[in-house]
Amino acid sequence: MSNLDHGKFTRVTTLFHSLLGLDVFLLFFTGYAIMFNDELWWMLTLMGGASGVTAIHRITGIGLVALVIFWITLQLISSTGRSNFSKILPAKGDIDAFIQDIQFVLGRADERHPSARQFAGYKADEVPLLSYIGKGVVFIFSIELTLLAISGLLIWSKTGLAAMFQTKAAAMAFVTFHGLLGVIMLMGVMFHIFEHGMHPAFYPVETKAFIPRSMVPEHHGDDDEEPDTTGIERLSLSPSWRTVSTIFGAMTVIGIVSVLIGSIFDEGYPVPRELAIGGGPASILLTIGINLGMVVLGVGLVLSMYGNVLRIRWEQQLERDERPAAADGGEPQTDGGQPEADDAESEH
Amino acid sequence: MTNTEDLPEVNGYSRVSVLVSAVVGLAVAALALFWAQGFRLGYESLYRVNPSVEGGGIGSDWVFGNTIPALDFLIALIHAADVILGAFILVMVFIHWAAFQRLADQMREPGESASEAVAADGGSPTHSDGQGGDST
Repeated sequence: MSNLDHGKFTRVTTLFHSLLGLDVFLLFFTGYAIMFNDELWWMLTLMGGASGVTAIHRITGIGLVALVIFWITLQLISSTGRSNFSKILPAKGDIDAFIQDIQFVLGRADERHPSARQFAGYKADEVPLLSYIGKGVVFIFSIELTLLAISGLLIWSKTGLAAMFQTKAAAMAFVTFHGLLGVIMLMGVMFHIFEHGMHPAFYPVETKAFIPRSMVPEHHGDDDEEPDTTGIERLSLSPSWRTVSTIFGAMTVIGIVSVLIGSIFDEGYPVPRELAIGGGPASILLTIGINLGMVVLGVGLVLSMYGNVLRIRWEQQLERDERPAAADGGEPQTDGGQPEADDAESEH
Repeated sequence: MTNTEDLPEVNGYSRVSVLVSAVVGLAVAALALFWAQGFRLGYESLYRVNPSVEGGGIGSDWVFGNTIPALDFLIALIHAADVILGAFILVMVFIHWAAFQRLADQMREPGESASEAVAADGGSPTHSDGQGGDST
């Protein structure tokens, strides 16, 4: 048997995740077509110029407000949501998992910690709801989305901003603040796409965010057999993984570094704090780098859609399996990992 | 393969709580839209943000300078947060990249048969299509 990572998301969460992802990607594409205008001029033109981009940004911004409020309300009024609060709080295991990840990379640990969760081994109940990275994502993205929504609405409402700040220049500081704040999330999302797209066992996309937990078995072998390893040695590596993960990893690093450098020069809008004509260095390398970062986001969008296609295919397979009494042998697998045959055997 | 009886019992969100949350979310979004947009269209041209690609831009307003030090400090703070968190995110990318390489080394190479594997288990992964379950 192999002890694959277990689904943890409910159906509502998987749908919310996909909608939030789509909304945030559109906000990134439109927002950074403005902020990194020197480098992403083509994107701005493609989306209908200044008026088109700002219109899409505002529509998706309102969509973000709706999604965020929906999620906060759901977590507060449902018992499932309230019971999750304690599970997202940082714990000692998270620090241990971070340290063990470094040890794992250095060859001083044989496995990743359960709190690293990706192919952590152990049974579903022993694996925490969120990995230490997952908790970081929840915390940083929650703070970011809240501040971005508030500052975005203030920028939108000129009268609201004018009531607070008496000069236009001061009001425009909010545009700068808004754009710079989003850079953290932009970099985080690039890492998020790499982390969940390039795991060798789940490549090209980890399905746990797309296939609800109710549709994923919690074990794949004899009930009597206690899992003592992750079983990863029984999976075959996808032929394209080494090439694709190397290229995509490089693109992720270049993308993160480029938007970080770009954010230092392009403060919020094409106008830096100290006036510089053109809004920053029109460096060809920076242009290529920031555009590569946008490609990374584009790949994330495609993988999100692919994850949903996999969910539909898995649903159809479950329906087919329900009709005849005998199961036909298959795993909720992505293309990257090929599960072992005895998974099927043990079920018979 | 998975029999459907192996699927776990999951305490998900009730339909009512999802519905109530959706209504609240949409209502707040509508209120936000009403507040941000308003009905005073005259104000829309005020402080209009125009990307420089089509002329305009906000640079001329910036010349007057930001007279509120707190906002200036906030921007400096966010710059610092960008750099610090950016460096941390890069570290996490490299850790995961390296961890993925190690995990990949533990897996079977493409086309490697079960008999060549360290822990042979009787499967025949060479004929697998990625769906598994090709055993007899």
